[in-house]
Amino acid sequence: MSMPETETAVRQLTLGDAIREALAEEMRRDPRVLILGEDIAEAGTVFKVLTGLVDEFGPDRVLDTPISEPGFTGIAVGAAMTGLRPVVDIMFGDFIGLTMDQMVNQAAKIHYMSGGKWKVPMVMRTTMGATRRSAAQHSQSLHAWFCHVPGLKVVLPSTPHDAKGLMKSAIRDENPVAFFEDKMMYKLKGPVPEDDYTIPLGAADVKREGEDITIVATSSMVQVALGAAARLADGGISAEVVDPRTLWPLDETTILESVRKTSRAIVMDEGYGRYGVMAEIASVIAEQAFFDLEAPVKRIGAMHVPIPFSPPLEDATVPTEQTVCEAAEAMCG
Amino acid sequence: MATSVVMPALEMAQETGTVVSWLKQEGDPVAKGEPLLEIETDKATVEVEANADGVLAGVTAGEGAEVPVGQTIAWIVAPGEEPPAEEAAMATGRAMSTAPAEAASSPEPAAPRPATASRRGKISPKARRLAAEHGVDLDDVQGTGPDGAITGDDVLAAARSAGEATASAPPPSAVARLMAERTTESWTRAPHFFLVREVDAGALDAHREALKPAIQNRHGVKLTHTDLLVALAARVLARHPKMNASWEGQGIRANESINVGVAMAVEDGVVAAVVPDADTAGLGDVAVRRRDMAERARAGRLLPSDVAGGTFTISNLGMYGIDAFTAIIVPPQAGILAVGKIADRVVPVDGRPGVRPMMTVTLSSDHRVVDGAQAAAFLNDLAEAIGDPGAHGLATND
Repeated sequence: MSMPETETAVRQLTLGDAIREALAEEMRRDPRVLILGEDIAEAGTVFKVLTGLVDEFGPDRVLDTPISEPGFTGIAVGAAMTGLRPVVDIMFGDFIGLTMDQMVNQAAKIHYMSGGKWKVPMVMRTTMGATRRSAAQHSQSLHAWFCHVPGLKVVLPSTPHDAKGLMKSAIRDENPVAFFEDKMMYKLKGPVPEDDYTIPLGAADVKREGEDITIVATSSMVQVALGAAARLADGGISAEVVDPRTLWPLDETTILESVRKTSRAIVMDEGYGRYGVMAEIASVIAEQAFFDLEAPVKRIGAMHVPIPFSPPLEDATVPTEQTVCEAAEAMCG
Repeated sequence: MATSVVMPALEMAQETGTVVSWLKQEGDPVAKGEPLLEIETDKATVEVEANADGVLAGVTAGEGAEVPVGQTIAWIVAPGEEPPAEEAAMATGRAMSTAPAEAASSPEPAAPRPATASRRGKISPKARRLAAEHGVDLDDVQGTGPDGAITGDDVLAAARSAGEATASAPPPSAVARLMAERTTESWTRAPHFFLVREVDAGALDAHREALKPAIQNRHGVKLTHTDLLVALAARVLARHPKMNASWEGQGIRANESINVGVAMAVEDGVVAAVVPDADTAGLGDVAVRRRDMAERARAGRLLPSDVAGGTFTISNLGMYGIDAFTAIIVPPQAGILAVGKIADRVVPVDGRPGVRPMMTVTLSSDHRVVDGAQAAAFLNDLAEAIGDPGAHGLATND
């Protein structure tokens, strides 16, 4: 006799909604949490991620600021030092250059320079990712810049589920955290539990298990890697997809375990390859798993050019499933 | 003048020795008396010292090579001097000293050696590691990776097809091999029987506490329960010569001295380091000897003489939390005492339940040498001695 499956269907939310839910839950849980940034209140950000939050929490906790990233990032650093837990919204990741002194010389240093007497529990939310036809100044993935600085944590969610749990951990963390959201994934749907769950910063996730090759991928590149892995399976290559989820702290153990099992590694990230996130992860693998490797580690990232405005040219700068499949097939032989 | 370095004989029956590692490389200056290399016999690892001043040259036995005793394995020469040619020619095709001369006299620059290196295509790092681990010659491996690269799987396939079922396991060390041989020989040939006694270790504890400061002062070592048991067992063995005898093929051989071995864990096995004449040795001397051997055992520096000549053995696993166990006799000895941990137990004390520090000792005996009654008498006397160490020759002024 067949029984209907007792489906405990988990809700499907978009990545943008998952982030909004995480922020709203944290704001209800902790009155010290507030958000500030450009066009975030009535407009709910240009990506509509924060729609409705101002109605629940009011304009004192969902704060529209003038167009001055250095100014309101500095305000957030001071607010964090004096007891609040601010979330700064930087509309495009391309603008983080404006906040560098606040983030690099203030937020990242104060805990250290005060001998641990001060702390800066703030989150900077911002975006990354190309192919939105936004041209060279609104399409970059510059998260590697923050990874280079001791004292900053860097988070890149790849699914709605991870986005909610990681955002809650980022807000509760006692350190400044940069949280990069791929703007092309805001509409990506996935299961998101209603529970109050967190995902620790520094714990990678094996998104797909495989035997022949490891693809370490971040953010939207995880989705590309999963698509490639499905295609590779048809050709008899079993690919494992490892998502570090946070670039600092970096879960080297999970990455190395996977590479030691498969003996081959591709590292994918939408940032630039030169001096970037992929270079760092590739050297972790080369330094610690060299004698388990069958082939050189392969980096797959953005083409080393400013992002073109022309749609066909822009698309050509971003790694695709095809890129990954060709590389994996060449490495597996 | 060149001085030969030969594989030394460290014990009477030794036929070969294995080079563990060279502590000097060819071309290094060496001084007489300086450690030159480490060799391994089937009993121990020892350092061999340089027997002359000069420069190390003409090494013919690489690390891992097993060489007959007495064979020349290297030379110590004067700076600039070549090692004697006939010895170099016996080497495995290295001919280092002749190669430059050949190249100079030969008009064509062609490589005299077969071009094996250039025939090889790509080899992955994993393949190189596995080849070294499995002793596979990469020249014999067909690559199946991209561009014909040799992969780890190719090496493993080659190792399998080489027909070596044991290819995946590195050869055991001398200690591990000896342990396997000796325990198998003992367990299959010596008819073991086991007697168990639970003893009150209160007096032993008290005696140790009482003697510890003096022995620490005079000898600079911490007195252990094992030291006390070695000395006590030896003194009791003096009254039970059968327990101290050996089975020698056709009959029983009495042993004149009482040399008590102490089982010690080393890197990949166990050895029994011997306290000679333990029945007459003072407690301090026993403690010093045991600690010295324990330290050298950990460092892999036991000498063959440290592990030879035992007539009885004690194995103490108390520090590992073991309550009681049975041990395998070290041939050709007649007995081994297995000592468990000292633990507080509820036992009858003067007809009422009381808590006492109890210890279980298990005597394994070879029935070809002693029978049950003889072994029981020994164990009974030993239990009494443990119950009153002061009355059994272990005076506090020892």
